[in-house]
Amino acid sequence: MPSDGVASLYVRPELENSETKAAVVGDIERRLTLWERVINMDPVRKLSVLVFTVVAWEIYTRTAEINELMFPTFSATAKALVISLVDEGLLTNVWNSISLLLVGYCIGIAIAAVLVVLGVWTRFGNDLLTTLTAMLNPLPAIALLPLSMIWFGLGPQAIIFILLHSIIWPVALYTHSGFQGVSETLRMVGRNYGLKGFGYIFRILIPASFPSILTGLRIGWAYAWRTLIAAELVFGGQVQDTSGQLGAEGSNAGGLGWIIFANQMENQTPYVFAGLFTVIIVGILIENGVFRNVEDRTVRRWGMQQT
Amino acid sequence: MSDKAIDIYVRPEFEIAELGAAKNVDIERKLSAWERFSNINAVRKMSILLGLIFIWQSYSWISGVEPLLFPSFGASIEALWETILSGEMFEKVWITVYVLLMGYAAGLLFAALFLIIAVSTRIGSDFLSTMTAMFQPLPAISLLPLAMLWFGLGIPSLIFVTIHSVLWAVSLSTHVGFMSVTETLRMVGRNYGLRGIRYIFKILVPAAFASILTGLKIGWAFAWRTLIGAELVFGAAAGNGGLGWMIFEKGDNLDTPYVFAALFMVIVIGLIVENVIFRNVEIRTIQKWGMQH
Repeated sequence: MPSDGVASLYVRPELENSETKAAVVGDIERRLTLWERVINMDPVRKLSVLVFTVVAWEIYTRTAEINELMFPTFSATAKALVISLVDEGLLTNVWNSISLLLVGYCIGIAIAAVLVVLGVWTRFGNDLLTTLTAMLNPLPAIALLPLSMIWFGLGPQAIIFILLHSIIWPVALYTHSGFQGVSETLRMVGRNYGLKGFGYIFRILIPASFPSILTGLRIGWAYAWRTLIAAELVFGGQVQDTSGQLGAEGSNAGGLGWIIFANQMENQTPYVFAGLFTVIIVGILIENGVFRNVEDRTVRRWGMQQT
Repeated sequence: MSDKAIDIYVRPEFEIAELGAAKNVDIERKLSAWERFSNINAVRKMSILLGLIFIWQSYSWISGVEPLLFPSFGASIEALWETILSGEMFEKVWITVYVLLMGYAAGLLFAALFLIIAVSTRIGSDFLSTMTAMFQPLPAISLLPLAMLWFGLGIPSLIFVTIHSVLWAVSLSTHVGFMSVTETLRMVGRNYGLRGIRYIFKILVPAAFASILTGLKIGWAFAWRTLIGAELVFGAAAGNGGLGWMIFEKGDNLDTPYVFAALFMVIVIGLIVENVIFRNVEIRTIQKWGMQH
């Protein structure tokens, strides 16, 4: 307030509402209509979005008369999906991909576990782990495929090698940083119980850092899945016929990536779309079926994660 | 309970008459120079790195492994130096980084567009969550055959798959971040009369910045992996490209030292983006704002 001036205060004039108007429009409480209740259901809305997208796709491809080789109709894609599932044994190809992925995932987690255990026990192991993960985590696993093909030839070993690379580093990184974030109180509880070595790791460190371990496993899976599909695509480009080399016999050799590549080479675009749908379905099943369930039974039940 | 006597173990009282003085234990002492030296983090990590390089080099000397299969560290560094001097390396790096930047920027633009619609309408929100649930599990690289069909062999196809790999990861975690902004902050925004774009940029974006940044990081990681993979596939199909193509081409010609040189470069770019760019953004935003410790 300036010292030489006279401060004038604004005084709000007194007023009194003699009559408050009753709310004219708003219902204080009313029953929702049937339509509103249906539209408030989440699955209904999402399903109708999906149906609408499919219908738009079908109408667009039919009316615009786009060449089926460029962009097939939804019905052609669905037909191709059914044919390849029923007649062409698409499930065998899915299984080829999944079994490779599982083998790589299990070995990768075992190696990551050994690295992390060493990192917990000794300072040298800790330094080794952080240096290796910092160096190798930013390296896309797929970039190692040419080397892996030189070392292991064209076959499942080459793919498993790069799968290992794509899994070990994120899992080790997240597990290690989760272990380091375990509070001192919990550690002291463990030491009070006389836990040492593996008992200490399995009873204190792992449960306490489980959310972060789970994140690591999820990211590892996402990287591995992407790497696997890419590797199968590259294999497809490298040799036109991988039958007998990827484990299975006859025409169902190779995994999903290979199916996508092969069908594209033969200009069977509806089958390419069918392959993509299968990739999406497998991805959703693993995301929501496996990881969701593990999450519900562990971190959410233990109250470590909300929503 | 009532018919059983409960035995309570009572600990006998005792008193220690004399505390033995600690023998041969230093309560406080100066660390020796060696201990102080090996307590420096950087020194230990550097020596591990040097140790690994030493093992690599001596392994490839002693075992006499075929250099075409596994070149020595020296040969790889020589190849790296040679390609840097001849300018070949920077040309390849530039192609890759150019495609990456274009794809990343376009992906962010699309993500922003979807998010603005999703924030303003319920149907937009449903649309976005359905689409992300569908496309997030689909590896972008598997769209490459289609992209090659639609856009031909060239940079547009690469940009297409890069956009796909960025778009869904960023949309998903930004959308989740927006939805978990507390009601208090939203009401503050509404009190200020903020609407539309200003509401998004002044309230939602700063409040959800931590998860936006996570989305950007995951998007970058996927885009980088997808791009290198796509260039490898292109290597198989056509002949023009960046680092991924270089890895493929040199691997095909059994120029293994050059493969290692290109891999070094991929690691270096990855380290720069993660530890310099994202780290700095993190320090200047969410750490400064106290949202992350």
